[in-house]
Formats: sequence, structure tokens, C-alpha cells
Amino acid sequence: MDIGDCYVGWATDEDIRTRGASGGLVTAMLAAALEKGLVEAVVVLKKLGEFEAVPIVTSDPEEVKAAAGSMHSVPIVLSRYLDYGTKVALPAKPCDARATIEQAKRQQVDIDTTYIVGLNCGGTMHPAVTRKMLETVYKLDPEEIAGEEIDKGKLIFETKDGEEHAIKIDELEEEGYGRRESCQYCAVNIPTMADIACGNWGVVGDLAGKGTFVEINTEKGIKILQNAIDAGAVEITPADDKGKAIRAKVDGAMMKVAAAADEKYLAPIEGSHLDYYMNALADCINCGACKAVCPVCACGEGAKCTEFSSAADTYKMSLFHLVRFVHLMDSCIGCGQCTDVCPVDISLTHIYQRFARPMQEEFEYKPGMDMTTPPFFGVDLLEEGE
Amino acid sequence: MAEHDLYHLKKLITTPLYENYNLVNERRTIMESEEPRIGVFVCECGVNIGGYLDTQAVADYALTLPNVVHTKVNKFTCADSGQAEIQAGIKEHNLNRVVVASCTPRTHEPTFRACCKEAGVNPYQFEFVNIRDQCSWIHMWDWEGATAKAKDLVRMGVARSRLLEPLEESSVPVDQNVLVIGAGVAGMQAAIDFGDMGYNVYLVEKEPSIGGRMARFDKVFPTNDCSICILGPKMVEVARNKNINIMSYSEVTDVDGFVGNFEVTVLHKPRYLDTDICTGCGACQEVCPVELPSEFNENFGIRKAIYIPFPQAVPMRAVLDKDNCIGCKACEKACEAGAIRYDQEPIYEKLKVGVITVAVGMDAFDPLPHNNYGYGLYDNVITTMEFERLLNAAGPTGGHVVRPSDAVEPITVGFINCVGSRDVNENIYCSGGVCCMFSIKNAQLLKEKRPETNHYIFYMDIRSTMRGFEEAYNRARDLGVKFIRGKPVEITEKENGNIIVRVEDTLKGEIANVELDLLVLGTGLVPNEGISEMGSILKLPRSADGFLTELHPKLAPVDTTTDGVFVAGCAAGPRDIAYATAHGSATAGRATRLLSVGSAPIMGITARIDEDKCVVCGVCVDKCPYGVFEIVGTNGDRRINVVEALCKGCGTCVTACPTGALEQSHFKNDQVLAQVRNVFQYGGE
Amino acid sequence: MAEATATGTTSEEWQPKIVMFCCNWCSYGGADSAGMGRFQQPPTVRVIRVMCSGRMDPMFILNAFLEGADGVLFSGCHIGDCHYVNGNYKATIKYKFLKAMVNELGLEDERLKLDWISASEGERYANVVTEFTEQIKKVGPSPLKPEGVV
Repeated sequence: MDIGDCYVGWATDEDIRTRGASGGLVTAMLAAALEKGLVEAVVVLKKLGEFEAVPIVTSDPEEVKAAAGSMHSVPIVLSRYLDYGTKVALPAKPCDARATIEQAKRQQVDIDTTYIVGLNCGGTMHPAVTRKMLETVYKLDPEEIAGEEIDKGKLIFETKDGEEHAIKIDELEEEGYGRRESCQYCAVNIPTMADIACGNWGVVGDLAGKGTFVEINTEKGIKILQNAIDAGAVEITPADDKGKAIRAKVDGAMMKVAAAADEKYLAPIEGSHLDYYMNALADCINCGACKAVCPVCACGEGAKCTEFSSAADTYKMSLFHLVRFVHLMDSCIGCGQCTDVCPVDISLTHIYQRFARPMQEEFEYKPGMDMTTPPFFGVDLLEEGE
Repeated sequence: MAEHDLYHLKKLITTPLYENYNLVNERRTIMESEEPRIGVFVCECGVNIGGYLDTQAVADYALTLPNVVHTKVNKFTCADSGQAEIQAGIKEHNLNRVVVASCTPRTHEPTFRACCKEAGVNPYQFEFVNIRDQCSWIHMWDWEGATAKAKDLVRMGVARSRLLEPLEESSVPVDQNVLVIGAGVAGMQAAIDFGDMGYNVYLVEKEPSIGGRMARFDKVFPTNDCSICILGPKMVEVARNKNINIMSYSEVTDVDGFVGNFEVTVLHKPRYLDTDICTGCGACQEVCPVELPSEFNENFGIRKAIYIPFPQAVPMRAVLDKDNCIGCKACEKACEAGAIRYDQEPIYEKLKVGVITVAVGMDAFDPLPHNNYGYGLYDNVITTMEFERLLNAAGPTGGHVVRPSDAVEPITVGFINCVGSRDVNENIYCSGGVCCMFSIKNAQLLKEKRPETNHYIFYMDIRSTMRGFEEAYNRARDLGVKFIRGKPVEITEKENGNIIVRVEDTLKGEIANVELDLLVLGTGLVPNEGISEMGSILKLPRSADGFLTELHPKLAPVDTTTDGVFVAGCAAGPRDIAYATAHGSATAGRATRLLSVGSAPIMGITARIDEDKCVVCGVCVDKCPYGVFEIVGTNGDRRINVVEALCKGCGTCVTACPTGALEQSHFKNDQVLAQVRNVFQYGGE
Repeated sequence: MAEATATGTTSEEWQPKIVMFCCNWCSYGGADSAGMGRFQQPPTVRVIRVMCSGRMDPMFILNAFLEGADGVLFSGCHIGDCHYVNGNYKATIKYKFLKAMVNELGLEDERLKLDWISASEGERYANVVTEFTEQIKKVGPSPLKPEGVV
């Protein structure tokens, strides 16, 4: 097995294979990693219902197996649940994987003992928005939902009676439903930065729906897959060129969609930038939730942004925001959680991305894609022809 | 001079090393737990401040600020009377913070800190507001503007002073060994002085012999003493001094640590012979078949692949240039003592020392790259060093100055001064009056040796500043040396090798074309590789001219910005032998303050960490150029370890730290922000 | 003695207020040298001293703007001459971030400047201050200035 190899794999256990997303490979791999001692703990999402789940850190393979199945509706980044030095594995959307790598750069996570099992992701949906969408647009009772998937540009809900209800995602998103805005313009769908990238794109023919397409990215990726094979938990077969091509094509299509959304949400500001930003941030109540939830922030409760800014300051903008901008411009991965938690509904992600884009372009730096030191932490930039 | 005055003078020049900052003052302890009680003292500085802004208005304004309980305007705050006012104010009003608004901390911060300390206020709870150099002197015709600015600055200073904390200075022990890098005349003098005082000295020299440049000169101005004759005994003195370890043909490759505790790595380059056995007889160099240009003789004349550096070398040992050795082993056969060792390897040695003197010297300006004045293009244009070696009786021509083109002794010789110096195309600085004097000396020496010669010196200015120099200049003129004030513009060569110098004689107002048999360039002094190397190893900054920077050009000419490291000789700028020798002794004096006391103070403005806030992100580790931080421990026990003694107090780690766990004492985030937040006020308040 | 340059302004003409951070070893020394050489400047600058340009935290500069600074200057030793080896390199990186941020935020580009002034460059210091003041006068009071501050 080598870095760069692609396979289609599935769980040997029928139950996991059926309950799991596209053949349960990820669940089986994570459980086997725990069972065989490759890791001491696994982070998974424990389902509370069709729309909600809560992250848990578990050493119990049964809990891992119970968490099988994919969900589009939980936008949370799992890097905060990792402890330095613990051998741990986690399933990771590209944003989870990037955040984990950023945390590793800040010494909050030991990248050598963390197995990042990447998952393809076309986007997640906010539970509350999803419920509303089901009621108003699909005209369905949210409690009747049994499953959900995105296929060929359509968001398909399966109700308990076995019926499928599909609506084009574009239409939904025009109305303000569908995926989160930051997911809409995210162009990183395949987790190339994770140890191993898993998903259902590129699985065709008989195996469609029953197998996971896997690409190995690192040595750890080889380890965790091989471990699952050796444990008899997983079977693989090499992926064919057709599958690889299809996968690349879907990725390409998603990236086009993202580019269009980019133009929509991050269109150049007309008129005064300062007015735009002052208005956008005017409602801030200094709750600090955006900081608490940011996956690339390593600071605990004590942080420069909070300690030296105060609600009592009578400034036109908040020092809290300005300090966070400068500290994070190079590292914002656009995961969107800040917008999710803001109690006054400020579209923070768009704002941070507006600052981040020019910076990341100038330094030719993309956060979370590898272990390159963030430019803000750099010491010697001037060799680049200053 | 009264003891009292001497005391204040001492405070002005340096911070005393061993005063016990830990003096516990009962009254001060009580004060610390109270509200800030600030006294603001506004200085008139005669008319320097008082003549350009309203000092009383500034003082009155200060009194309106929260926590300011006392203000006073003084004519001269630094004078005894002014300082007495501060101390009286402290006592009368129970002050625990003192703000002085006057000149610049760069002159009087130590003065006022000491004054406060005497009266029981921690010297770090004193704040200096600059309203002269940065206010009254630059807004001399804007009374209102300057006064308004002074008020702002005082308000900023008061805000900062509220947050200043009492700081103690700690100290580290000083190892009693000394490192002197470079064994030219400055380094040798330093080593002799250290050795005579009883300290163990490691004298590291990268050439195979000590002596430096002075060993290559013929005679030295203004006395025209034979250079090696006066240097030789000094070299022998170095060799005989029991406390000096000469490490010749060696280089310092690394220095770690801090004042009093330096860890030095020295590379001993292989000579390929056993120096304990080699007698320096020179038999090896007789038989060696390889001939190479002799660096000692400025590439006039030859040396062999195995060679004795020069007749007076110390240590008197041969050295084998393996790069050019053809492996014939003739030297091994010829060596009666059996000293040759072809398989020698370089050896790295680690030394522990307490203080370091850097005396790595300089180079002469090389006119070859730009062919200045035809050097490198015309045969009969030579440099001063080449002339010295020709003139020297032990040189390649036995003391006969001859023309390179035809080996004929010249009759008419010209010297151009300021070659490579005072030149916007090369170096703008003056080489310290060295080149003026050596050209005068050389013209005079050749004239005395061969009275039939004629000499011209083309100069811009004659800088005969030191003792005996003007007399030497007069002697040269009396001998008939012609001085033409003008910078030659064109040098041409005739078929017979003669050099024509075209120059404006500015005193006569005439253009002259002077035909010479030989032209000697008075090349200036330039920084050498050793300066860059030691600069980076020891983290010593260089000035715009490329030489090492001293701590203060007037008041601290041999100290550097790195504690425990001193600089002597031409490494700190072009100068002559007397100055360099004096410098060498000066560093011994300055360094011995640390050695004899046995401890060195670590200043109080170092980095401190709040482990509760620290998330061990590790950003500080890479940012610190002194290696103060490292991550220690494993997994959940990880923490940042801070080696305070290495901290120089720059504060870049504090900027890097995202949480604010790292703070720099005396420049804490809230202290600086207090100044930022008091630049502006709401109108009408 | 330097010649006085016209710094007098009428009471109607608006005077910007500029916050300047100077490193102790070079730029603060340069500021003093300007004084010793009597190089006259407009009274627009308020100097804050830190030990090194590496100590100039973006947070200080941002706070200065929020406080009402019409312009912010920060200055250290020339590249290669930092008293603390490479503090000015780090300052340069921070400057790039701040510049990009200030641009995106909509503050005029001219309001933020990083420069290198050595201790012997008194005249240069005066020129930098004078030129920067002129630039700021052209762009006017900072739009971030809170109401009513002077």
C-alpha cells in the first residue's frame, strides 16, 4: 500500500455496512483502530436525533460503531476535542482536518499521534434552518425524516414511509435554505490534507452506496487502513480509473458551484469599506462566542483580543474584532462556526474571509493544508526579495 | 571634585554593579499596597525647555490628573538642587511614583532612578517624559503647539507610571576565565593586561601567528620605529605570560550563554604537525617544492606550502597549507624532529569564560575590484601595504622599493590619500587619519633612504591630529616632499610604465599632470570577515560603516550592547596603533569590573510568563533570538520554560504571544496601552 | 544649528495627531538626534518608546487608530542592525498584516507607515515626521476617530 493509492472499501460486518454511509468503511476503520490499540480514543458524533448530534471522545468501540451513518446537519469542528499526546482518531470533514492541522501548528494537538480520517464534504446544514426548510418548502414533518442525502445537485429526504422527496439545492439556496453560506463557497471538498480521504464520489456500479472510495495521503493513512484490514474489519479493492475520473469530475463541479457562491457572498464591497464593516459589526454584544468556537484559535480564556478590549470602550469599532482580524487573517479556514453561534446574526465568516483572502494570496499560504508555519508566526520573511 | 560630585558622575556613566537592589525599605513596602501617589517634576533645563514652552502650565495641568499629588517646576532637575527637590517631594507627599518631564532618558534615566532609589522609590517606578529633545528643541517657534504636546506627553507618562511595578535586579556569577578574540596589537594588549591581573586568558587567533597587521608594517608613525622591532617584544611577553593560552590557527565558531557564563566553541585548525615537537627551524620550508604567493608579503614574493609565517612568529612553528600541498613528503623527510603529521584533524574545543574581548581587526581597502586609480590595470600602481613590504628589510626585495614593471628603483614616487575612504562610491567615512600619516611616513622614509627620490602626496586634507603627527608632517615638508591638495581625476600609463597623474592643485588653482615612476595608493581601512562573523556569533550590531558598534561613541567606547562583551581596536572603527593599544587595555579594565566583583547584574526588563494563561502554543520559542524559551514536559504536563538570564529584554516574544501570557517587565501590554490610551482626551476635559 | 522650517499653523488649520512607536536603541535615538540638531518639525507626533520594533504589537497600533490617531508611524533599526538581532524582521511581518488589514478595512493606505531610522539620523527623523504629517493633512482626520476627542 502506498501514498496516493486509491481503493474502494467496505465494512465486513453487514450491520455496519448497511447502517454506515456508503459501506461503513470509516466506522469500521475507527472501531478497529480502537480495538487493536492503534489509538486510545476516537472522536465521533453521537446522534441525538435526525438533525442533531453531540461530539464524544470514546474508548469504547461499540460507541464508535453506534455512530455509523452520515449526517449533513451538524456543522461542528472537532479539533477542540483532542488532547495533546493522546493517540486519537477522528472522522474529519475538510474543515475538521484543516482545523486539526492548524491546532497542531499551535501545539494543541500532536499531529504524529492524531489520525485524521478525512470525509468528502459538499456542505452541512444548520439544524434549525433544516427543520424550517422541511416545514415550509418540502412540506414535511421534520419528525418523519428517516434519512437524507445530496445527489446530483438535489437535496433528497427520505421519510419513514420510504418515500423520497428531492428539491434542487440551487433553488433551496436561492431562498436562503440549504447549506450554510460558508459551506456554499467552500472549495475544499476532498480532504487531501487528512491522512486518508473517504467518500462516495467515484464509487460506481454494484458497489454504489455500499462502498467507500478511499485515497491514501500519508503514512498514517496507510497505517490506519492496513490496521483495519489486518483486523478483518474492512475489505478493499483497487479503484478503477473510471471511478477516479468521476470523483475528480464531481469535485470539479462542486468547485464551480463554490465559485459562483463566492461571487455572490464575497462580491467586492461597493462604496466605503469602513462603513460596511462598521455597520456589519455594529450589533456585536461582546459575548465572545465567536472566539470560543473558532477552530484555529489556541488561546484559552486569557487572550489579547478579550483582555485588552472592553465593552466600556467608546470606539467606533471594537478592538476585539480588530485584534482577531490581524491574528487570524492568515489562518481563517472559513468553517463558518463563528456565524453559527453569533447571537446577533453577524455574518462573521464573510467578514473574516474578506480579510483572509488577500493575506493568504499575498503569502501564497493556505491554512490547514500542511504543516507550513503560518506567516504571522514567521521570523524571517525578508529573504523573499524585500 | 567633591565625593558627592564623583558619586553623581559615577551614576551618570554606568549603573553600579553590586548595589543591593534588594534593600527592603519599610516605608516602600507599605506604599506599594496603596494607591499610586505620583509626583510630576517639570524641568526648564535653563532655557532649553523653559524658553520654548510653558512649563508652569504643564505642571499645573499635571496636578489635575488623577493620582498626581505633587508637581514642581525646576530650573535644572538633574543638578543637586533639582534632585533634592525630587527627594523632598517624595518624603513630604509620600510619593510612590515619580515622573520627570525633561530631556531624554538616554542621558538622565540612570541619574533620576538612582535619586528615587535613595529616597525609597523603586527605580522602575520612575517614568521619564521627553519634553526637550523631542519637544522644545524641535518646536522652538510654536509655544502653543509645544506646550500642548508637552501636556499630552506628561499625561501619557503619568498614565504609564500608575501601572509601573517595583522591579528587582538579580545577578549571575561571573566565570573567572577570559576570552580574547584576535591577537593583533589590541588583542595582545588586552590579553597581557588580563594575564598580569591574574586572570586565565584564552587568546584565539585565526592566523598561524599572533601579531596582526602591525607585524607587516615596516615602520610606524610618527616616531618611525621599526614596527616588528617594537611589536616583537610584546609578542614574546604574550608568549611568556603564564596566564595566557595562545590558541593560534584557531577560530571561534560559536558562543552560547550570557554575561559571566559564556560557552565558547573554538575550532583548532590542523597545522599537520605536532606543535610540541616542531622547533620552527624552517628546514621543511627549504625543501618544499611548492611556491605560492606570500600573503604576508602582500603577494609580492613567495612562500611554500609548508612555511613559517614570518621570522618573528609567535608561536614559532610551521604550518602546512594542505590545499596546496602536493603530498611529496619532502618536509617529512627533512624534519629532524619528526614533527610532521599529515593525518591531523580539526579539533573542536569548548571553553567556559566570563567575559569576552573582540579584537578581530580590519582589512585594508582593496582597490582591485574597481581598479581604483588604475590598480590592477597598470603595473606601477601599488597599495601602501605592498609598499611597506617592499620597504621592509625582511621583505621580498630586501628593503628595496622597486617598480613591479621592471624592478627598477623609482625616482619619482606619488602617494594618493583617501583611497576607498571619504568617497561616495566606496566608503564615505574617513579612516581615522591613519592613511594621511602613513603616506607622510612612507614618503619620508624613502626620501631618507634614497635622497635622490622625489615625492608627491596628493591629498584632500591632512589629518595629523594626534601627538607628534603635526611634527612628522612638518619634517616631511622640510625634506622636500611636495603636497598637492587635490583628488586625482585621471591616471594614465606611459609605454615605459610611468604613471601620469592628472590633478587639480586647488591651492594654486592649476591643473597639473604629474609623471611618476611609481604610484602608491593610501588605501583606507575597511571591515573584515571577522567582524561579520563575530557580529553574528555574538549578536553585535554593526554601524553604517560596517564596523562593530560600541555602546556609546563618547561615554562607552569599548563596551558593546551585549553585556560582558567588549570590543577593542580596529574592529570598532579605523584607528591607529596607539588608540588600538589603549583600547585593548580599556577592555581589560572594563571587563575586570565584572571579574573582580564576581557577579553581573541582570536587568529588570525581562520576559515573565503567566503559566495560567499560557496554552503552550510554542510561538515564542522560535521568535526569541536568544533561545530563552523551550517547551518542556510531555502531554498534559507540557509548559514553557523561561531562562531569564538569557533574556535581553526586547519584547518580541510578548508581541508574538497570542494569549498575553508573556509579558515584558516595565513594558507590559497594559503599560504601553496606557500611553496609547492617553494620547487623546475628550474635548473639554 | 538647523534652519527652522515653517511649522506654524493658523488656529483654523487642522493639526493631525500622530502616534509614533520608536525602538529605544535606534529610532528613539534618532528622535533625540533630531532634537540635538534642532531639526524643526510640526508638533503632531506623540512618541511611545519600546525597547525594540519587535515589541510593537499590532494591538497597540490598532488601539491607537481606535483612540483617534490620524496616522500611526512605527520605526526601528535598519534591517540587519537590530540591537536584538532580528526584531525588525518580525516588525516587518506585522506591518504586512496591518497594512493589508487597514486597506481592507477602508482606512487610507497613507495612515500607517513603518520606517527604519537609526540613532544618528536626526535629520532623516525630522523629514519622516514632516512628510508623514503632510500626508496625513492631505487625507484629513481619521474616520475612526471617536466623536469629540482631541
